[in-house]
Amino acid sequence: MSYVFYPGCSLEGTARDFHLSTMAVAKALGLELPELPGWICCGSTAAHQSDPLLALALPAKNLAAANGETVAVCCAACYSRLKAANHEIARDAKVRRQVSDIIGADYDGRTPVRHLLEILARDIGPEKIAEHVKRPLAGLRAVCYYGCLLSRPPEVTNFDDAENPTLMDTLVAACGAEAVDWPHKTECCGASYSITDVGIVQSLTHEILAMAKAAGADCIVTACPLCQLNLDMRQKEIEAKFGESYGLPVFYFTQVLGLALGLEPKALGLSSLVVDPMALVSRI
Amino acid sequence: MSKTVQLADAAADFVAEVEHASAANLAACLQCAKCTSGCPVAARGDVKPHVLVRLVQLGQRDAVLGCRTIWECTSCQTCATRCPQGVSIAAMNDALRQMSRAAGKVVAGTRVPLFNDIFLRTVRRLGRMYEVGLMTSFKLRTRDFFSDTDKVPTMLKKGKLSILPPRVAGKGERKQLFDRARRAGGAK
Ligand code: SF4
Ligand code: SF4
Repeated sequence: MSYVFYPGCSLEGTARDFHLSTMAVAKALGLELPELPGWICCGSTAAHQSDPLLALALPAKNLAAANGETVAVCCAACYSRLKAANHEIARDAKVRRQVSDIIGADYDGRTPVRHLLEILARDIGPEKIAEHVKRPLAGLRAVCYYGCLLSRPPEVTNFDDAENPTLMDTLVAACGAEAVDWPHKTECCGASYSITDVGIVQSLTHEILAMAKAAGADCIVTACPLCQLNLDMRQKEIEAKFGESYGLPVFYFTQVLGLALGLEPKALGLSSLVVDPMALVSRI
Repeated sequence: MSKTVQLADAAADFVAEVEHASAANLAACLQCAKCTSGCPVAARGDVKPHVLVRLVQLGQRDAVLGCRTIWECTSCQTCATRCPQGVSIAAMNDALRQMSRAAGKVVAGTRVPLFNDIFLRTVRRLGRMYEVGLMTSFKLRTRDFFSDTDKVPTMLKKGKLSILPPRVAGKGERKQLFDRARRAGGAK
């Protein structure tokens, strides 16, 4: 199986371990992910808050460059922007014309975009994944945290059930871990306000950590670089601010899968996690 | 007995303007407040999401464009996903943010517009995000040198920051793309 891979900026910066573990897992599963040459930023929140046409043109520029091949994405925020651009361009001829003029190529909004979770849990499937598991993660109790941007709005992303997605849960279960049910799968962490309005992020992220703990999880599994950074790097300051103690490692789903596939922590970038996961990893 | 409220022309124009810019289906809102019930920032905002829709319907331009809520909305899309009437407050808020800036009505104290500008300027210049450059510009402009400074050593140690900016070809083409988008949208 082969997809054109759009890493997005976070995977070259704060989420380099997401990139590393994605490539390691893909290799172990025989999945080819050649990188889209010359890709540029999707525009993220800044573009859609500021300039509606730019917010479509930046994703369209990348999608047009894929020449109709299916594009694979890891970052939930990029995924949401690429999907939104496809949605707007495919349904409105005027928008298509405007965007095509801006990017200097006719783009029809029909290049398929898949999140890596969809590729693993749907295109490959949990049964196939389970066959590759070398080190079942028995005893690991994980809550799967999807965040906002994978499943909402459903008519745009068409990812999974908008209120109770389960794709990541099936993957975690295929790894031999327990995917603990909990109510905060798609709550918002405050995401991009991490820099501009940290108070919002601290209180929203605190609620997610508190619920993960209450659900009896010993770690959180994420699919978004912004969520991961807020839950992991801000965990200590949130503990201090709210007088709680969580100590919950926050993995990318590719890191959890990689462990189950028998890959080494180093190959999965586990040393990049701020809340040290090694005690937990050596226990399983 | 039902009463019909007639909006003044200016108010009606405002409703049409927001709807045109957002396609948010605002006229369909029946004030059930389901959006507000699920909104992660409704409790802290100065205007609740369903009230904001009502204010737009009533053409309250100044109150709407000057509120803090539009800068605290995280674009999480919960409201749009759950609304029984197919109203998208998330889309409405994108349009309101742009109109608020164009009208010079941005509420004092929010740093979101500045951040967005620096972010987009970085992408225009380099093609991709460059966190070190972004944070430096942002801190210089906000004169906020102390928050999160403890994060820098952590991020360096954990390999989360590139010191060097990204290098992506096609700078001229990128500038053209940004300029054309700006012209087509009539923005700034
Ligand atoms: S959920 Fe929809 S219909 Fe109900 S108040 Fe909010 S916007 Fe209006
Ligand atoms: S998109 Fe904005 S208004 Fe809607 S629920 Fe999320 S934070 Fe609230």
